[in-house]
Amino acid sequence: MRHSRAAARRLTLHPRRMLAVGAVLVLVAGPVALAPEPTPGAAAPAASAPSSNPADRGTELYLQQCASCHGEQGRGTQRGPSLIGVGPASVDFQVSTGRMPLSREEQQARRAEPVFSADDIGALVGHVGSFGGGGPQIPRVAPGNLASGQEIFAANCAPCHGATGAGTALTDGWTAPPLYDATATQVAEAVRVGPGLMPVFPSQVLDDQQVNDLTAYVQRLRGERLDRGGNPLGRLGPLAEGLVAWVAVLGLLVAAARWLGRRAGE
Amino acid sequence: MITGRLAQALDDRLRLSPITRRALVKVFPDHWSFMLGEIALYSFIALILTGVYLTFFFDASSADRVYRGAYAPLDGATTSAAYASTVRLSWDVRAGLLIRQTHHWAALVFVAAIVLHLARVFFTGAFRKPRELNWLIGVTMLTLALANGFTGYSLPDDLLSGLGLRIITSVVESIPLVGAWLVSLALGGEFPSDEMIPRIFVAHVLLVPAVLVALVSLHMGILVRQKHSQFPGPGRTEHNVVGSRLWPSYTLRTLALFAWVLAVLFALGGLIQINPVWLYGPFEPAQSTAPAQPDWYVAWGDGALRLFPPLEFRVAGHLVPAPFFPGVVLGGLTFLVLYAWPFVERLRTGDRRQHHLLDRPRDHPVRMGIGVAALTFYAVLTVAAGDDIIARLLRVPIYDLLSVFQVLVLVLPILAGALAFLTARALHRGGAAGVGELTRADLRRAAHRSPHPPEGEGEPETPALDRPGERIELWPEGDLWRWRYRDEARHLVIGGNRALRSEEEAISASRLAYPRVDRVVVPGPPPAPPPGPIRAALRRWGRAAAVGSLLLAALVEKRRDRRERERVDGPTPPEPAEEAPTGDGRT
Repeated sequence: MRHSRAAARRLTLHPRRMLAVGAVLVLVAGPVALAPEPTPGAAAPAASAPSSNPADRGTELYLQQCASCHGEQGRGTQRGPSLIGVGPASVDFQVSTGRMPLSREEQQARRAEPVFSADDIGALVGHVGSFGGGGPQIPRVAPGNLASGQEIFAANCAPCHGATGAGTALTDGWTAPPLYDATATQVAEAVRVGPGLMPVFPSQVLDDQQVNDLTAYVQRLRGERLDRGGNPLGRLGPLAEGLVAWVAVLGLLVAAARWLGRRAGE
Repeated sequence: MITGRLAQALDDRLRLSPITRRALVKVFPDHWSFMLGEIALYSFIALILTGVYLTFFFDASSADRVYRGAYAPLDGATTSAAYASTVRLSWDVRAGLLIRQTHHWAALVFVAAIVLHLARVFFTGAFRKPRELNWLIGVTMLTLALANGFTGYSLPDDLLSGLGLRIITSVVESIPLVGAWLVSLALGGEFPSDEMIPRIFVAHVLLVPAVLVALVSLHMGILVRQKHSQFPGPGRTEHNVVGSRLWPSYTLRTLALFAWVLAVLFALGGLIQINPVWLYGPFEPAQSTAPAQPDWYVAWGDGALRLFPPLEFRVAGHLVPAPFFPGVVLGGLTFLVLYAWPFVERLRTGDRRQHHLLDRPRDHPVRMGIGVAALTFYAVLTVAAGDDIIARLLRVPIYDLLSVFQVLVLVLPILAGALAFLTARALHRGGAAGVGELTRADLRRAAHRSPHPPEGEGEPETPALDRPGERIELWPEGDLWRWRYRDEARHLVIGGNRALRSEEEAISASRLAYPRVDRVVVPGPPPAPPPGPIRAALRRWGRAAAVGSLLLAALVEKRRDRRERERVDGPTPPEPAEEAPTGDGRT
């Protein structure tokens, strides 16, 4: 099935056509499209026969999916940043959350279904690691303390991701995404890597135990059991609740009054 | 049997039957819009009932307390007693969360119902004499409802409401000279003070509700004393009320509404989560959360703070900070205008009569336009308070969105107000039953300044001699004669729809239609309608410009004449160009 979908995508997203689309986008969107750190798309994801050797597989996938923007040696091109020294955590985060490879040029990659399997992601991580430069390793997440995690979250994460984890808008069209889809490892990776506008929290700021506590709390925050009061309305806060209140007032209470009372003509 | 005896015993001692008899036959109008205030009343009752339950478990104190309970992420955490008890109320007290949520929903519904009731009273002119007093009481109750809503929202001492409290103290602090003093007077020190929560609690559960209960009683006492207003209709006059008696029909109806309000509020409280303070976490001055808004009824203030440009200046050495205008001035102005409206309108219209019959909203297009413009203004401000949510959901840059809102908040009210004004005038002049029945002719008529019925659409009119100022006007139009009927006193002009061949024929036709009316011959077609101020000004300027240009042309002509005459007659002065050496001819 993936094969046919990939083939279809290849048809619609031919590189030349994509360039044309990109040019149009640049013209239309103007400076927004020229914002710093453009991470434009790779060619279509193709699934060829998996090779047995992970290193070969990684090279193959990298050349197919990533090299068109990041360069064959990962030094970056005009369309994508250098990957030297980003570290395994960054590669794993971007690819396992489906943000990379990009299917079209955009300022901030969105979370999506990952394109690669776990093995392929591992192979890619290995290949990008071969460019050198070090960078943060993929964190190993262990169970943590919820109460400490709540405090760390409120102090460091809530200003952008919201105390409920629902996310919010940042400046210049960037957003801090909701945290409800992120796995524990992905949360820890984001903490260590700082993708997009997110600041980096190295181990001097948050040690491994604190990151464990934090991921434990974020995993807990995902749970629907915390929405004890009923429908959470997307945990968007008082204005969403106000909207519901108005709908209830107009749709249920005023309608009831109208039903109980009479109209002008009666 | 027992009830009968009890009633008898009470009546013997207190002589209740005359009062009761009069109360039970009090007539309530049947129109549904009179029940909007009742929705507010019943949500207020729900607020009191649920609020009493909450006070049993809420601990209004800023003192440290260790939470121990079912909510694991906070188990063992040290927070303020107010926050800890609210989390306990939500997770560990039986029915605590249901009652807490119902209380909060009831507050939202309470203010919404008040706003609807206010809009009904405003658009129907129910605030006119003799009901100005009740209008003032109503507006006071609205301010108290907002105040109590905000204090209730702040009581749990969670992160979100703490941010709101921080913002509102900053707004108060922005008042020049007295702001900082007011804040420290109210909070007993710097924000966040230890006395903040207890003081807010006393205001929330004692002071404001007590005043509200007193005002509600006064509001309804005045209503009973003055009798209900009603919409005009057959059999309805300024001196009666047509509707249902309190007992039995209206009692049943209003109790049904009461039950329904309670049902809706508890359904909301049980099914839809509101203000999950355990997720927000306790308030710490150094922390923040986003997206952050207050409850909807104060969100317009938040929206104004977001949209207003950061203007700061000094007056006599005192800084006037940016939140002063959108926070203090806009809020103060809003309620000032609300309080003053009945008196402003009376001053403007000069109408000092008593009114027990209501206006239909269309009867006062200006009031309609102003009201709709104001509602639109506050609605845009309220939506603008959610700019961060909208930016995230629509994936647009937040500052672009802010700029859009800054334009919308100025443009949309004017557009909406003008549209409402024109619609009301079209309905009023055209007599269409509803907006759906408006015709293009109605709209065209509404666009004109003065109401004049279209020519040739004369309704059958039998003028009487005792009406002064009516006459028949005749005038020739080429070979033909036309006539029209004019009633000066009623600003009525009805044209004869046929042109006639001679003056005699026109006279006889007009006599047939309007017997015994004096006739006056007007030489010429009917005068054009009086030009509007802009057109008049344009015409005046045009005339001035024409005169000016003619004068200028005459002057120029004259000067040219004189010059020519000088050249022909007088000795021509030697021209300097001829004296100068001409050079070698190169150009």
